[in-house]
Amino acid sequence: MNSCSDVELRVVGANLPRKDAIEKVTGQALYSTEVSLPGMLHAKVLRSPRAHARIRSIDVSAAETAPGVHAVLTHADIPKHFMPVYGYFIKDQPLVAVDHLRYVGDIVCAVAAESEAAAVEALARIRVDYEDLPVAASIGAALAPEAAELFPEAPPGIVPAYGDGASAILRPGKNICYQFNYTTGPPSAFERCDHVFEDTFHFSRMHHYHLEPFVTVAEARADRINLWSACQNPFPLRKELARMFKVPENRITVNVPFIGAGFGAKNNCKTEPVAVMLAMMTGRPVRFCLTMEESFLTNTQHAAILKLRTGVMADGRFVARESDIWLDAGAYSDASPLVAEKAGYRIPGPYRWKHIDTRCYCVMTNTSPAGPFRGFGGTQTTWAGESQLDMIARRLGIDPYEMRLKNLLKLGEPFVPGESGIDSDLKEGLDLVAREVGYFDYRKSPPKPKGVKARGVGLSIGFKDGGGVNKPAQARIKVSTNGDIYLHCGTVEIGQGARTALAAFAAEILCAPYERVSLPEINTDYLPFDQGTNASSAIAVMGQAVACAADSVKKQVLEFAASQLECPASELVLDNWTIRQGEKRHPMVPMIMRYYGGTGFEFTGEGYYKAPSDHHAPLEAPCVFWEIGWGGVEVEVDTETGQVKILRLVMSGDTGRSVNPLVCRGQEDGAAVMGIAQTLFERMIYNDAGQLLNNDPLVYRVPLAEDVPASFRSITQEQGHGPGPFGAKGAGEATILPVASAVANAIEDATGARITELPITPERVLEALTRQQAK
Amino acid sequence: MVSYLRLHFTVNGTPQALRIPANTLLLDLLRDRIGLKGAKVGCSRGVCGACTVLVDGQPVAGCSTFAFQAQGAMVETIEGLARDGALHPVQQAFIDHAALQCGYCTAGMILLAKALLAHDPDPDRATIVEWLSSNVCRCTGYQLIVEAVEDAARRMRQAAQDDPGAEA
Repeated sequence: MNSCSDVELRVVGANLPRKDAIEKVTGQALYSTEVSLPGMLHAKVLRSPRAHARIRSIDVSAAETAPGVHAVLTHADIPKHFMPVYGYFIKDQPLVAVDHLRYVGDIVCAVAAESEAAAVEALARIRVDYEDLPVAASIGAALAPEAAELFPEAPPGIVPAYGDGASAILRPGKNICYQFNYTTGPPSAFERCDHVFEDTFHFSRMHHYHLEPFVTVAEARADRINLWSACQNPFPLRKELARMFKVPENRITVNVPFIGAGFGAKNNCKTEPVAVMLAMMTGRPVRFCLTMEESFLTNTQHAAILKLRTGVMADGRFVARESDIWLDAGAYSDASPLVAEKAGYRIPGPYRWKHIDTRCYCVMTNTSPAGPFRGFGGTQTTWAGESQLDMIARRLGIDPYEMRLKNLLKLGEPFVPGESGIDSDLKEGLDLVAREVGYFDYRKSPPKPKGVKARGVGLSIGFKDGGGVNKPAQARIKVSTNGDIYLHCGTVEIGQGARTALAAFAAEILCAPYERVSLPEINTDYLPFDQGTNASSAIAVMGQAVACAADSVKKQVLEFAASQLECPASELVLDNWTIRQGEKRHPMVPMIMRYYGGTGFEFTGEGYYKAPSDHHAPLEAPCVFWEIGWGGVEVEVDTETGQVKILRLVMSGDTGRSVNPLVCRGQEDGAAVMGIAQTLFERMIYNDAGQLLNNDPLVYRVPLAEDVPASFRSITQEQGHGPGPFGAKGAGEATILPVASAVANAIEDATGARITELPITPERVLEALTRQQAK
Repeated sequence: MVSYLRLHFTVNGTPQALRIPANTLLLDLLRDRIGLKGAKVGCSRGVCGACTVLVDGQPVAGCSTFAFQAQGAMVETIEGLARDGALHPVQQAFIDHAALQCGYCTAGMILLAKALLAHDPDPDRATIVEWLSSNVCRCTGYQLIVEAVEDAARRMRQAAQDDPGAEA
């Protein structure tokens, strides 16, 4: 589709410089942290030191008279007609606390002052009398009979429409805000199984650790609100703010400069509501920028417990899976219901089943709110599903690779009834990583243990649906008289290279040099609507809208030229703003000026794409594309110390077609390294009192260059089956998925010991070895 | 009371003489007073390195360095690297290898690499990894950055060979 009819691809598939490269290597790229307005005040908030408490009383009088203070915001200062709570499906997070504090870091009140230092000094003068409540800092504690309710009264919430087999419930039980269910096939399938295995897996949580903090600058002038914010989904943010502050959407402008990464964290309200409220109170622009310590208290990944009951035949064929998944949602629902939907839906993995029955619960705990995080439920389910597959294979005496082959969905086979077909050849990817990691050599001649060192190999296939659910995309392309191309779309450049890829589509289709495409900064007044930069959707969803807009503008240009040249448009080819008519060449510029006059014209094309709604699809629209990450790893385990050394590590995703191969590789490298960290060391550690013990960049460990195994390689496959322009599909999440299970599988291969809890620390390996020897 | 001091130093080759509060951090001075925003505010704890600048050729975390510590020194920031419209070889290598994503760590990583290559024009991969391990990049997984630095080193050695008098 959509290629220049008579030329090879010139732009798509080439390693052209990123659109943002010059600005970023010269220090000229501007982020929200750099936004500064005349008269701007600075906000800071008082955060709860208690994990669960009621506010008996609060005295802010000394803060109000502190030097440089312009406003102190408590719940009492919010106009009664506002709706000062936010959240995705469930509106449960208050702008500032009413009287109930649910985690360490919950916002008690806020101050706007001449400087951050003045705001911090004012906060120290605020006196709060807390009444402690019982703390539930983990899934287990929150579900215990004696646990206190985080929400004694139900906050307003909705359950979206679901299709065949899927359903959800609000507040199905104490401290559970949402439950997603999915079932297909007859439960009697379990009765025909030769074996049923039940295993439980624990998944620890990470912080996104985006280097750019959460930051917003807001001004409320006349009847308008203007914001500059590090936000991944500016249009839904605008809608949420309009609802909260009772302002029409067309009087709120969200500007998004470059974003210093988000990995999911920068979706929906974060620093925005407090900044807007204080701007309204003071009449001055207000900047609210968090420290990294505060970021840890604002959004995180979901810790999880996953219990899988899997029925199989003696030859290793999967038959039925029943699963219960508990996600640690933290103190507010944020995106947890959506993550539950995805975790519950993805737990079957890329395999064929006769029966699936899953329940996924969002458990409220007195910890930082969990939200969207690269992988979005798929990381948790791949950890459990791919670990259990190997465990079952070993119990049955079947090679785990062979067991995967027996069960893998074929190319084009629907994931579940009503779904779209799998758009990667799963075996092709598995064979690739197995070969690269030496899996088949191991099976031919397993290495003998050398002293206390044992070696093993493991495989895994990470699996998630990509492109979001039921997500529309709109794009607009304008071409000036001179042939300069403007690409208008709401996809936010958060580092993933979306602007580079989307510009490449436009240039390719318009047969124009890539350099001629420019994308304006995100502004919700001028750009077409977009639901948000998430779910790896830019290529496969927005990409299709961009292609459609490019096709539209190209058609207009050719028709215009045809009318000027008095010939059918089908005789004409657009080539670098020149019309080719056989051997003849007609430059566009004089043709335009002859017709429209010397001041020229702009051709404008609109593009739209949405996967069609379909009630037979469990999530109400079939999945746009499937994001698959294959992993292979070879480890050496020191059975005396529990140290795991990664000897070979191969991670692979399938981009369908790499629009820019180096940028794609960067995405897959980055996702895999995040997965390596999650596997071996990175985690947020809470004590039973709900205190985050490593809430500090000095002690919270993220991977450095030296943590990446020297042997690490990511291999980008281009299988060509993607739904996006030129066969492309989304990328960037696939290779975080399979790392942990591949490593655990390799450790079991080496030692027979099984790790079911992340991260895989030497202590856990030693424990597992001890258990293994006791058997 | 905050005391003031007079600071004399050069920033990207330009001499500066400023009266500043004694507790001013180098990063705040560069960003808020001099208007050079290329060094970023990240963790503010000297861990992530997004605020890296060079002081007399040595990489330092601007967030954890007092401005007075740069008294009399030559400070270089990312804005000073390109000369007469030509990018520094490390900058060009970062572009050619797509060694950046969100860009927030990029200035720090480039300055780190520049300092490394001034110290050791022909570093092996292990040395590059060791140097880069003082800064955090959460996006790239580091591989493309390491490759960019290897390539920049090659290019700079080649340029030095072709024109021994040229400034690296």
